[in-house]
Amino acid sequence: MATTKVPEVRDIARIERIGAHSHIRGLGLDDALEPRQVSQGMVGQLASRRAAGVILEMIKDGHIAGRAVLIAGQPGTGKTAIAMGIAQSLGPDTPFTALAGSEIFSLEMSKTEALSQAFRKAIGVRIKEETEIIEGEVVEIQIDRPATGTGAKVGKLTLKTTEMETIYDLGNKMIDCLSKEKVQAGDVITIDKATGKISKLGRSFTRARDYDAMGAQTQFVQCPEGELQKRKEVVHTVSLHEIDVINSRTQGFLALFSGDTGEIKSEVREQINAKVCEWREEGKAEIIPGVLFIDEVHMLDMECFSFLNRALESDLSPVLIMATNRGITRIRGTNYQSPHGIPIDLLDRLLIIATSPYTEKETRQILKIRCEEEDVELSEEAHTVLTRIGMETSLRYAIQLISTAGLVCRKRKGTEVQVEDVKRVYSLFLDEARSSQYMKEYQDSFLFNETQTAQMDTS
Amino acid sequence: MAVQSWIEILKTSKKTALIHDGKRKIHYLFKDGNEMAEEYDLKTDELLVRKWRVKSTLGAQGQWQVEVGEPTAGPAASLDSEVIKENCSNPVFIRKDTKSSFQWRIRNLPYPKDVFCVTVEPSERCIIIKTSNKKYYKKFSITDLDRIQLPLDGSALSFTHANNTLIVSYKKPKEVLTLEQELLKELKKLKGTSDGDMDCKTQ
Repeated sequence: MATTKVPEVRDIARIERIGAHSHIRGLGLDDALEPRQVSQGMVGQLASRRAAGVILEMIKDGHIAGRAVLIAGQPGTGKTAIAMGIAQSLGPDTPFTALAGSEIFSLEMSKTEALSQAFRKAIGVRIKEETEIIEGEVVEIQIDRPATGTGAKVGKLTLKTTEMETIYDLGNKMIDCLSKEKVQAGDVITIDKATGKISKLGRSFTRARDYDAMGAQTQFVQCPEGELQKRKEVVHTVSLHEIDVINSRTQGFLALFSGDTGEIKSEVREQINAKVCEWREEGKAEIIPGVLFIDEVHMLDMECFSFLNRALESDLSPVLIMATNRGITRIRGTNYQSPHGIPIDLLDRLLIIATSPYTEKETRQILKIRCEEEDVELSEEAHTVLTRIGMETSLRYAIQLISTAGLVCRKRKGTEVQVEDVKRVYSLFLDEARSSQYMKEYQDSFLFNETQTAQMDTS
Repeated sequence: MAVQSWIEILKTSKKTALIHDGKRKIHYLFKDGNEMAEEYDLKTDELLVRKWRVKSTLGAQGQWQVEVGEPTAGPAASLDSEVIKENCSNPVFIRKDTKSSFQWRIRNLPYPKDVFCVTVEPSERCIIIKTSNKKYYKKFSITDLDRIQLPLDGSALSFTHANNTLIVSYKKPKEVLTLEQELLKELKKLKGTSDGDMDCKTQ
């Protein structure tokens, strides 16, 4: 007899990956907009954080359209961190669109189209829509897993209200959702019929006497009345871009042949602007101007800048935040030099926030926060050494060393990163300055050395 | 009055007719972008199918919603099996009109007749089917009467039960009968593309 292997039921809970700015949870300001020295993952940069706080209030008020802010500073001084902090403090209801300056260059779409799509993604419309929901108390839930372990699962769900009872067939996605939400008999749930989103309302009063182990937060609710399927008005936020896409799709059978959305006609946009304004006047919808964040803004060229000038004047325009680390440099697409690589006429419209290099104490704090975020224990001496490295090379390099040193430490079965571990990774990986030094020393032995110098002269 | 306004809406809509398969098929496109499709039997002039397609608030095109006749079980229905759908053993609710009355049939209801209680709720403009064993409950409105804003009358309602099917009938009022006659006359005047392939315009 062949042995049958019982497949493991894998948990679907997702583990969040650690990103470069995942430790930032807000701007770290108090109610009076005064920055705290260390708060919500932010360290130092007090003046710029305070300025960002003022901008944040302006965005929250939502009255002013088309303001633009530039965050300028040296590399590794927390420009992106401040933008992320703003995004986090705005909350999930305010649209925040982030893109890098080079993202708009595509062969499929013109630069200005990409920019206007980004602009429209950053404006939300809160609107009421009717959706069909199923609301009832779970009588029975039955899920059959095939004996072989592969193939589709089959599920049935019996729901009831005070008046009726219905059996539903469940698709695979639905079964996963139900098991993730840990729905069981006696729960009162709602299911959005279109999206399949399940939300638990609580437990039915009729089950209040069950001696089940239940948390203190378990709520008891009445069994719903009437029909199981109801039409309910829900308020949700969609971006203008999403409305554009819905309305620009080719209708009929031609829709089968058009895969991507491509460019959206300006007539469609105008129609939608008019429609949205009409809704707003009728009180059906509310416009939420959000934030468009363009990182590495010096990568935009002259055409984009003049488009931005124009786009900022529209009354349906979000607050634009840009970040750059360039000084006086050439504006892309021209031969003119300009501060930050941005034309003067656009710079004139901007509020500029400057970030300054971190002090030693601040660097130390940031490294500590990153250690916690990456789950690495650092000894006091190692911390001091790492801070020195951070001051002498760059903060980014020091942060890179945290996880690598943590790994080295784990390999030697240590629990806390010691100075030796840091020294070891410092010798293994070069920082930018040392790498440049190495290049200068061994330039002759690299490939294509001669041709490269010749090219450098011409450019 | 109200009857007139509905006639006006029908008149101003863009109508396309097609005779196919022994049925007269008519497609209405209303000014607000909503669509209605009807199918009449050529011989008996009975309404076989009426369905609606309504644009959502954001402008997206919805699915066809069947008002009269059997729901279409096309390939689109099976694609949605990922999410959730009603089990086939559940009661199936369809509307199937006769010449003189609106009629609803609910199949798969294996309970005796005295379980059911069908009432008219004139204030809420709907009919309610209740079951004393708490297995089935349905609240629905007569869309034809809503459109021309006629009041509901309890005495016009009757129901029978046979072969696991509950049949609810509501006698069509005089206004509806005359309206339908008029409409049918109007529709017959429409020159429908007769049977065969329409020339398919390449766009």
